[in-house]
Parts: sequence; C-alpha cells; structure tokens
Amino acid sequence: MSSEAVLTARDLGISFGNLKAVDGISLDLKPGEIMGLVGPNGSGKTTLVNLVSGLYRPDRGEVRLGGRKVTGLAPHHLARLGLNRTFQVPKPFHTLTVRENVELAAFYTRQEPHTAEKALEFTELAPLADRLAGSLNVGQQKLLDLARALATGPRILLVDELGAGLGPMELDQVAAKLLELAGTGVALLVVEHLLAFLNQLTSRVLVMNAGTRIFEGKLAAAAEDPLVVEVFLGG
Amino acid sequence: MNLPGAQKGWSPDMLEFSLIAGILFGLFFALVGMGLNLVFGVMRIVNLAHGDFMMLGAFGAFWAYNLLGWNPLVTIPVQGLAFVLAGMALYYLLVPRLVALKDFEMISLVLFFGLSQTIEALAVLAFGNNPRSIFQPVFGQAPVHFLGRTFPVAWPVSAAVSLFFLILVYFYLYRTRAGYATRAVMASRDEASASGVNVDRISALTFGLGLLLASVAGMLSLFMLGSVSPDFGGNITITAFAVIVFGGLGDPVGTVLGGLLYGIGLMVMESYLSSWANILPYVLLLATLLVKPGGIMGKEVRHV
Repeated sequence: MSSEAVLTARDLGISFGNLKAVDGISLDLKPGEIMGLVGPNGSGKTTLVNLVSGLYRPDRGEVRLGGRKVTGLAPHHLARLGLNRTFQVPKPFHTLTVRENVELAAFYTRQEPHTAEKALEFTELAPLADRLAGSLNVGQQKLLDLARALATGPRILLVDELGAGLGPMELDQVAAKLLELAGTGVALLVVEHLLAFLNQLTSRVLVMNAGTRIFEGKLAAAAEDPLVVEVFLGG
Repeated sequence: MNLPGAQKGWSPDMLEFSLIAGILFGLFFALVGMGLNLVFGVMRIVNLAHGDFMMLGAFGAFWAYNLLGWNPLVTIPVQGLAFVLAGMALYYLLVPRLVALKDFEMISLVLFFGLSQTIEALAVLAFGNNPRSIFQPVFGQAPVHFLGRTFPVAWPVSAAVSLFFLILVYFYLYRTRAGYATRAVMASRDEASASGVNVDRISALTFGLGLLLASVAGMLSLFMLGSVSPDFGGNITITAFAVIVFGGLGDPVGTVLGGLLYGIGLMVMESYLSSWANILPYVLLLATLLVKPGGIMGKEVRHV
C-alpha cells in the first residue's frame, strides 16, 4: 500500500455571512486510513465534508486528490474521480427501488454494473433490493446511502454521522463494515458523535470547534486535552 | 336559489356529455400542468412564465398556419425542438446564477414573474393586442359522433395529442436513463449529484422539456379554449398551478389525475353552472390547500 496521501486539503475556509463556518482546516488521508472528525454541534464538521465533496465551493484553500487539484469541482465530477460521501440525513430516491438507487450511482460514475450488486451485498440490502427506497426505515436508508456511495467505487469516502439513529447491534456491524472497507484500501473520514463507535475504528482524530481545528492526534490524548474537554463539557 | 345554469335542469344526457367532454379536456389540462410540474419537481421553482410560453406556442402555430400554411400537427415537432433549445439556453442563462443567491426560491418567483411580464409586453408589441384563433376545421370537417353525442373534431384530436405527449413523458421518466436521473434529482439534488448525475444538465433538459410541453399545450389552447391573445398567460398559469397543486406538487402521476378531475369538473360546471365556471381554478386551489395540502396523491404530512 502506498504511503502517499490520496486526499489533501489545505487551509480550507468558507463563511456564511459573518459566520466563519470552516476556518483554515487542513488534513491528509492515506489509502486505507481512517480518520475521525469530532466536535460539538455547529462546529463545522458537515460543512467541511460539504467543502471536500464539492457541495460547497470554498472561499479559500484547496483540495487535491492524489496530487490533482480538484477545488471547486462539482460533486458529480468528484464522484467520478473516486471521492464520495454519505449524508447525515439521507434522502434516497424514494420513487426508485433500492437496486435502482444503487445502479443509478454505478451507471453515472461509469462503474461496472456488478459494482452495484456488490454494494448491495456488502451492506446486506440485497434482500430488500426490489423495494421502493421510500419504504425503508431510517437505519436501512442510512445503509442504502452507504451502498449508493460504494457503488461509485470510491477511493476516498467521507462518512457523515452514519451511527446516529442506529441501534448498538447495528453500530457494531457498521463499524466492522467500515474497517473491512479500509482494509481494501479506501481512505475514510468519519464524522461521528459516538466516540465509542469511533474508538472501534481509529485512533486518529481531528477535533473541530467553531470552524477551527483545536486538536489533532490520538483519540485517547484528545480526552486529556484541556481545550477539548472544555469544549465538550461546555466549560 | 335560482342560479343561471340551474334552469337547464339535470338531464342524464347532459351529464354524459359533460363527462366525456371532461375527459377530453382533462387530458388537455393534464398537459397544461405537466410542463409546469416537471420544472417544479426538478428545480423547486414555479415557472410563473409557463402560461406565457404557452401563449408563444399558440402564436407560433397561428403564424405557421397563416404565413406558411402549416397544419398545427406539422408545427408541433419543429416548434417543439425550438422550445427545448430555448428552454435549455434560458436555464443556463438564468438558473445557475439564481441558485447561487441566498434566498433563491423567493427571488425565482420575482424573476419568473418579471419574465412573464416581459414576454407578454413583447408579444403585444410584436403581434398586437388581439385574440387569435385557427379555423377549427383544420383537423377535418366532420364532427365526431361518440356514444350518441357530437363533438367538434378538434376536441378528440387535441385530447389524442395531449395523451401522446403524456405517454411520451411517462416513457422518458420511467424507461430511460435520463428519466431515472430526472426522478433522482426530483428526490434530492445533493444525493443525485453525489451519485455522479450532472444535476445542471438534467435540470436544463427538464426545463427544455417543460417549455416543449407548454408550446404544445399552447397550440392546443387555440382549439380547446377558442382563442389566444398576448395576455393569455396569467390566467392559464393559475389554472396549471391549480391542477398541479390539486394533483400533488412534483408528482407527474398526480398531475394527470388532477388534470382529468379538473377537466370533468369544469365541463360539469359549464353545463350546469356556466357563469361560475371561471372561478373553478381558484376554488380548487383554496380547497386543496385547506383540506389536503399535499394534493390528492400526496401524503398528509409534508416531507422535511
């Protein structure tokens, strides 16, 4: 496995009015690496995911995929270059079946047709493949969103609060799946409130508060960091 | 109470006539609503100039008939292609800039209202402020007899053209790749984009398709509604809006059902309460919003 970073973000920033939602965040991800992204509500985690995945165009900074500058490219373009993400509140294509949702993503990112079938099996949605996506429960919709992202054949996957709304059993299963993915060389950035869940995945975290990085390093060390403790316990 | 239409009394013959005419008109009104609804479904923008594009389609057919001697059925594909291209150009000109704005849904209403006023004003300058119509027997002389009733031949022809385009929309949405992508964009622009769909291209195509349907519906208005003048747009936009709200905003199947029920309702009112028929779209709009805001096909609760 190469030790070159597949994803590099440098000094990313975006403001909404007077609010600096993300203010100078940098990060590197290597193939197969999992990095946790934590922080209180409103600290800019999802905004950062939106910046990297192309949903928002950053005011400053740059994003590179394996050395290629991709700042400001639209999400469909980045999806075809192997960068994808899941959504905190997934909105699957409710008038399409589960299989059609996933096949659409594979088709428009020019993947082999069997990529869609593999994604359905990986997420264990194959038995539900012919149901309308709108009929799934919240947990199943989250898995479908993951399957949709996987069907695009990502080398980098940004996972935005996949754990929220899942039960303890499902959480363990999902954690095992994400580890399996990383084992195949996919780089993962995992936004998560559930630290126990994150702890199963990785020891490396980036902690954000008010749009800025307040800590980067081991999850265990973060728990001892006075600033992190203050932010999390509302000092 | 002695309403004007009530004097005609309830005759089963008239009811039968109203129902059959209502279905013919209903298909036409479904087409009137469909273009507006597709654009709304994909972009969450109400194209307030929808009726004005219909007016342009009607005038296009009128001039093609009078200057070139084209049968309106010949005009449809030629003019339709022009409207698709114009719609795509208009999309790329207006919408990406619009979406970049903060309050874009609100501003889009103002923009398309302005577009509607501009088109109407230019049409008055270009065509004069007169109602225009095409000689009805352009589709043939003989009236049509059906189930013992007699209809102008233009009615079933218009209904058949409407049905053809509704089926075409169905095949596009449910049987083609671009149609699947269009339905994906209707469900969620962000997820569609993350699935590799070029949302701008699909939206532009849908906007073009919306204008194509408007141009056909406008041409048919010359026969179904008698005549078309440059100020035709405002009222027919409201009718189209009533049909799609009644059927369920963003739902193409709902629009067909909404159009059919509207057409039948209108014909029944024309038969029995003719002087009240003009308020039908407004009553329908109000009643839908008060009783079942999601429309007949909609769920009770709005999706968040």
